[in-house]
Amino acid sequence: MLMESLLIALWAGIIGIDLYVGLTHIHRPVVTGLVVGLILGDVTTGLIIGGTLELIWMGMVPLAGAQPPNVVIGGTIGTAFGIILGEDPQAAVGLAIPFAVAVQGLITLLFTSFAPLMHKADKFALDANHRGIEGINYLGVTILFVFNAVIAFLPIYFGAQQATVLVESVPEWIIGGLSIAGGIMPAVGFALLLRIMMKTEYIMVFIVGFVLAAYLEMPILAISLIGLAIALYDFYQNRDKQGPDNQSPQGEEITDGI
Amino acid sequence: MASNYVYEDQTKAEELQPKQLRHLVWRSLLLQASFNYERMQAAGWLYSILPGLRHIHKNKKDLSKSMKDNMEFFNTHPFLVTFIMGVILAMEGNKEDRETIRGIKVATMGPLGGIGDALFYLTLLPITVGIGASLAIDGNFLGPIVFLLMFNIIHFGVRFGLMTYGYKTGVKAIEKLKAGTKLISRAASIVGLTVVGGLIATYVAFQIDYVWVQGESELNIQTDVLDQIMPAMLPLAYTLLMFWFLKKGRSPLTLIGITVIVGLLGSYLGIM
Repeated sequence: MLMESLLIALWAGIIGIDLYVGLTHIHRPVVTGLVVGLILGDVTTGLIIGGTLELIWMGMVPLAGAQPPNVVIGGTIGTAFGIILGEDPQAAVGLAIPFAVAVQGLITLLFTSFAPLMHKADKFALDANHRGIEGINYLGVTILFVFNAVIAFLPIYFGAQQATVLVESVPEWIIGGLSIAGGIMPAVGFALLLRIMMKTEYIMVFIVGFVLAAYLEMPILAISLIGLAIALYDFYQNRDKQGPDNQSPQGEEITDGI
Repeated sequence: MASNYVYEDQTKAEELQPKQLRHLVWRSLLLQASFNYERMQAAGWLYSILPGLRHIHKNKKDLSKSMKDNMEFFNTHPFLVTFIMGVILAMEGNKEDRETIRGIKVATMGPLGGIGDALFYLTLLPITVGIGASLAIDGNFLGPIVFLLMFNIIHFGVRFGLMTYGYKTGVKAIEKLKAGTKLISRAASIVGLTVVGGLIATYVAFQIDYVWVQGESELNIQTDVLDQIMPAMLPLAYTLLMFWFLKKGRSPLTLIGITVIVGLLGSYLGIM
């Protein structure tokens, strides 16, 4: 069983990367079903369970930062348990879902704990240190691999029962709290952006954008088109005011350069 | 006196060759390698365009400025990112005003994010994976293979196509927009901040989940009180609070810590 568990863990690590990096979608359960089936020597059952899990995850896609139950762990553990325990596909799904939900909580934690590294990255950027920036990204890929491989290995090697007990022992409020914090976190990013871009004269359009989204629930594309309309109006108003001088900026720029 | 937003070295960079652009498309696969909730794809974005920036900015100070700018918050759809890469690299190569570059980047990332979700996650994926799954359920091993082939031919076609298209569009658009970089920078900031205003209401998920019961009557704090005053009030208020903290000189790290505590407290008390 050790060999099979290790191979499945290796696959989980690879597709754990693919879920965020690469996105060739080898991480979909329909593919995992085939691969785990090959590893465990039962391709047909693997395909059937994979296809069934696929139908469940089909509607669960990462939209606008919202995270569905983890498809990597759900797919690998679901298929592996289904084949090993001889469960029918539906029961395999029931076994896989708690893991998939718990793992998504952990991913929230992972994405939160990676934020401090961005300040390290700022320093690398300031020093024009390209190796530093690359290192941080390679570190991220490595963490994704190890994280998914370990999580897939443990329950398959030690057995479904113990693993389920362990997952259920984590207080729900911690997983819930982390995912709430994950939802609020983009506010910090937007605040950083505002700090750089905001000028008093732009408050008007900021309010417009907010109202269009919050009250009228317009999609972002519509909002950006309205922003563009305002920008075009503003652009031509100002250009016309400049009158015949409007060619001058080019000239100024050249002298500036010298 | 040179403005803070202008690159020191104003000589236009040599154009990026198709081979270099293709190399950058491969790097764009790592867009989300360092994904996190504070800057989202920022470091992966910088990673993706980095060889391009190094080719463009031979002046070390300019490279540092440009890298710093491109470490700012970034989030878009990972398949469509190559279009933004192309446009931004064309602008960087032309040594545009840094504020203009930032404005264009912020203005394009939001809409492309929405378009990408609709195109790929809500259309392409369900169709291709649906075909694959239906074959797989019948025990046919071609299911996964057919799915991967169909999905990735379109996936990589889009990535490579948009890179070239974005770069060419960027170069051409810049030529046309020569007149008055100040005005263009201003226009870009206007679009950018409209989008940021909209993104705050859309992306920041901050809700109170608490019903106040007094005898027979129930009062849902979120839908009956807060939403009545103003929808998305908490996301806006929280973002502005963070903005204020930043202005007071608090580090973003502190703000992340505060946010985690808010989430855990809200969950523990059962009010979020």
